[in-house]
Amino acid sequence: MAAHPGGAQGMIPHLMLEIHDLSKTYGEAPVFTGVSMRVAAGEFVALLGESGVGKSTLLNCIAGLDEASAGRVMLGGQEVGTMDGDARARLRRARLGFVFQAFHVLPHLDVEDNVGLPLRLLGRRDDARVRRLLEAVGLAGLGARMPAQLSGGQLQRVAIARALAHRPALILADEPTGNLDPATAARVLDVLLAQARADGAACLLVTHSLAAAARADRVLRLTSHGVVPHAAHPGAGVMA
Amino acid sequence: MPGGRLGRRRAPGGLEAPTWVRLWPLLTAEWRHHPWRHAAAVLAVALGVALAWSVHLINGSALSEFSAAVRSAQGEPDAVVRVAAGDFDDGWLDRLAVVPGVRQASPVVSFETYALPGASGQAPAAPLSKPQDGQRAAIADPDTRALGRVAVRVVAMDALAAAAIAPGALPQPSPAVRARQPLALLDPNLVFLNPAARDRLGLADGQTLALQAGPHWRHFEVGGSVAAAGPPLVVLDIAAAQAGFGLEGRLSRIDLRLAPGVAAADLAGALPPGLVLVPADEAAQRVSNLSRAYRVNLTVLALVALFVGAFLVYSVVALSVAQRAPSFALLGVLGLTAGERRALVLAECALLGLAGSAAGLALGAGLALAALRGLAGDLGGGYFPGIAPALRWDGLGLVVFGALGVASALVGGWVPARRAQSLQPAQALKGLGGGAATVPPTRAALALLALGAGLALLPPVAGLPLAAYASVAALLVGGVALVPGAVQVLLALPRPEGSVLALLAWQRARHQRHTATAAVAGVVASLALSVALTVMVTSFRQGVTDWLDRVLPADLYARTASSAGASAQAWLPQDVLARVQALPGVRRVEASRLRSVALTPGRPPVTLVARDLADPAAALPLVQAPSVPGGLAGSLRGADGPAGAVEPDDGHADLPEAWVSEAMVTLYGAAPGTVLRLPLDEGVLRLRVRGVWRDYARQFGAVAVDRGVYRRLTGDDRVNDLALWLAPAASMDSVQAALRAVAPEPGMLEFAATQDLRRLSLAIFDRSFAVTYYLQAVAIGIGLVGVAASLSAQVLARRKEFGLLSHLGLTRGQVVGVVAGETLAWLAAGALVGLGLGLAISVVLVHVVNPQSFHWTMELVLPWARLAALCAAVLLAGTATAAFSARRAASRAAVLSVKEDW
Repeated sequence: MAAHPGGAQGMIPHLMLEIHDLSKTYGEAPVFTGVSMRVAAGEFVALLGESGVGKSTLLNCIAGLDEASAGRVMLGGQEVGTMDGDARARLRRARLGFVFQAFHVLPHLDVEDNVGLPLRLLGRRDDARVRRLLEAVGLAGLGARMPAQLSGGQLQRVAIARALAHRPALILADEPTGNLDPATAARVLDVLLAQARADGAACLLVTHSLAAAARADRVLRLTSHGVVPHAAHPGAGVMA
Repeated sequence: MPGGRLGRRRAPGGLEAPTWVRLWPLLTAEWRHHPWRHAAAVLAVALGVALAWSVHLINGSALSEFSAAVRSAQGEPDAVVRVAAGDFDDGWLDRLAVVPGVRQASPVVSFETYALPGASGQAPAAPLSKPQDGQRAAIADPDTRALGRVAVRVVAMDALAAAAIAPGALPQPSPAVRARQPLALLDPNLVFLNPAARDRLGLADGQTLALQAGPHWRHFEVGGSVAAAGPPLVVLDIAAAQAGFGLEGRLSRIDLRLAPGVAAADLAGALPPGLVLVPADEAAQRVSNLSRAYRVNLTVLALVALFVGAFLVYSVVALSVAQRAPSFALLGVLGLTAGERRALVLAECALLGLAGSAAGLALGAGLALAALRGLAGDLGGGYFPGIAPALRWDGLGLVVFGALGVASALVGGWVPARRAQSLQPAQALKGLGGGAATVPPTRAALALLALGAGLALLPPVAGLPLAAYASVAALLVGGVALVPGAVQVLLALPRPEGSVLALLAWQRARHQRHTATAAVAGVVASLALSVALTVMVTSFRQGVTDWLDRVLPADLYARTASSAGASAQAWLPQDVLARVQALPGVRRVEASRLRSVALTPGRPPVTLVARDLADPAAALPLVQAPSVPGGLAGSLRGADGPAGAVEPDDGHADLPEAWVSEAMVTLYGAAPGTVLRLPLDEGVLRLRVRGVWRDYARQFGAVAVDRGVYRRLTGDDRVNDLALWLAPAASMDSVQAALRAVAPEPGMLEFAATQDLRRLSLAIFDRSFAVTYYLQAVAIGIGLVGVAASLSAQVLARRKEFGLLSHLGLTRGQVVGVVAGETLAWLAAGALVGLGLGLAISVVLVHVVNPQSFHWTMELVLPWARLAALCAAVLLAGTATAAFSARRAASRAAVLSVKEDW
């Protein structure tokens, strides 16, 4: 693992994500407190945790889709908490990619339009990149299909291609293989990792799957009192 | 069968309980959760029911009161006999008395005239407000009270004969008169007043009353009262009426008391030739016929509110079903059948309808009470003058209008109920749609439009445009169902590639076009109704304006009577004409004579207008003759009018020419190419019909003949109306003063300048149709509430989609913009359909409903600027409503919903 960015002791590469003492409460009920972590550019970090511990909430706080109760989130050097709603949206548009458990592709756009959507949002069209991505995720020739004509595994690969289309600096993947059978899940994860690494994107993967987590550079565990390294993983403890 | 289509399931104990009873807590919880939304639906139903019920109650009460007044004035004879039309010789009385089965015959003379309190007969001259009778929108009756003269009906009878037939109508002499004159009822110097006449004239017993008889006033003493209700009525001895009003030897009708066991129908064959048996309630029937089209139109207009209310119920229930899709899904998983889900939603709708109906019936009764107190039952048509009806309940109507409210709610809830039925529980539990939307097939929509077009070509049913109303309904439903197809056509254009937001909106609008019907159905319906009403009112107003230009060419008008009925007694002698012509400031004078001619029992009389027709094309607003069912053969059968009023024109006889109003063609078949027979006192006047003219003043027909020809044929040289062209420097006031001076009595003339008549007529027109603008506003408001409710439902159903857009970096404003853009696309398609539909409906209203209801035509006038403004306003308001409703699309809940993976 030493060759991996951020993997070397004491050498802090360019930080993509930096979280300081983040807390989230709903009313009087705390979800998590004291969360601090870092993700370097190009790094692949898996985040484990029990159900209800706030993994998805943490991702939403990172993306500026939810307000943290305390603490700071720095994304590419910019503090998310100080931005207004529109600025956060622009930040997501330019620097983040999302992959969800339930795919979430727009049913009224065909596959090419779904994949090219982030580029269009940035005012760019790059049909060649869309085609290359579709080829890379194994969907060559299916660009004109509508989502209703695809299987679950295919839909998730569309979502991955979309998440990568605009070369985001950080991909937030929230249980992207949760709805897939093990074989398909493995293939989808392969695609996600390969493409993220090819584009140099960092990836924060929230998952319950230890098998999926094992593919990451580092594995962390979210508890109600913060993030701790997952002991069973070789990269435990680094940059948590 | 447990559950299923009947929505019932056998309980363990063997008792059956409907689904909605078993799930009552679910219903009440939903209502408690969204009280205002459901209150809006209840209110929409209530408003529709209230309007329709109040119109029904008001018209029913007025008609009933008027009929009662007629009965109390006329008594309740076993039969009534008269000649086919007009007055007749009283020699018939003797011939009738010997007819077997007739036990007693009571002769009656009846006519309209004017009355004045006091002995002088000097009434102040006052401006003339509006001419003619039978009119609806353009012109109405004047307030003769302001003139001093009071329009009254005079009924003269033989008290000795009438006592046995119409005891209720018999005069009651005052104690003073009774004391000095035991035979007061036969005293030719006494008159007896009903309460309305006493009130309007302000007279007490013993005071003097003047009745107009041509250019003179006949003076009588008020000898007592008559109990008859209704409009002002003056009763006097028949001999005095015949002698004092130029009716010597003439009768209007003969009331009969028949021998026991003899029915009126038995008498028909035994009558002497020339006499006809008319229904005892003929007068009441005439009023009913006179006002029937107006009453039906009002009711249909009120039912439109109920129709639009059904759309609001649809929107509210659709929203409710979309919100509760997971609950329905869970109930489905737990064992509730598809049919029971539908029954549950329909039960909700029925309860909404019941609540709305109950509130509407109460509100409608209140509205009717207020209208009867404030407007005396006259809803603007002027058909029930002089009565003050009390509210008369109608149990059957109560049930029917209550049921209509429930039915409208059930119709509105049918599609959402079907959606709840077709919901796939497993899919819905995963958040994958709340049931497939019902897509109205384009073919069915086109079939409905074709049906609507076909129905518009059918003739009236029982004198009413029932097929045309059905046509409007078919066009509306077909047009609404066509919206998805229109969206498809509209969005088949190349998609906008330049803007991703436009692209998203465009693709979504095209892909989800089946939901467009739900979203914009109310807007399409309300816009179509608004366009149709705007075009109809504009066309009618333009028609009235043009018509006024043609029929009011002079500078100043003077008239003796406000109705053709009263013109028989209120007239000027011919010699006045020469004196008027010689007045300083008068450049030219044209005189008219008006006569009321009854052509058939039970139908209002037509008006014979004798005026200068040297150049008919210049004097009359000539039009193409409307079509007659059955063509000329139909004409000769008398259309739906009486046989004998029209005969074929063999072209040989040297007949005088006449120009008839459109109503004469549609009601009597008196088209060009026929000969019209008008039964006058002087004999039957045969007139060759040469042309047809438009008359917005007389709904039931008018016949124009040249006055010179008329005078030559009848010898009648009386004058009712004067049209005066003034010299350039002449003063209107001084000419009026001079006219009063040459009239036999100054108070016999009413004056109006042309500009005043035009202004007044158009003001009355605008006031009459003001309600349509409010109706348009209400309809569009309800349509927009439908848009809001429907979009709210869709935003809920699509919250994960909007959440994804937020994740992808769309700002809150951009998400709202996407929803607004989609709605704009749907609204644009809806506006196009609504505009087209409205124009189609306006054609039906202008060219079918109006001629069939009121027997006059108008040209179609399309106010494009107003229509464009109307469409733009709907687009703008609809898009703004969509943007408002879409705020939740960009809410935190939507953002978080992407995690709801079940």
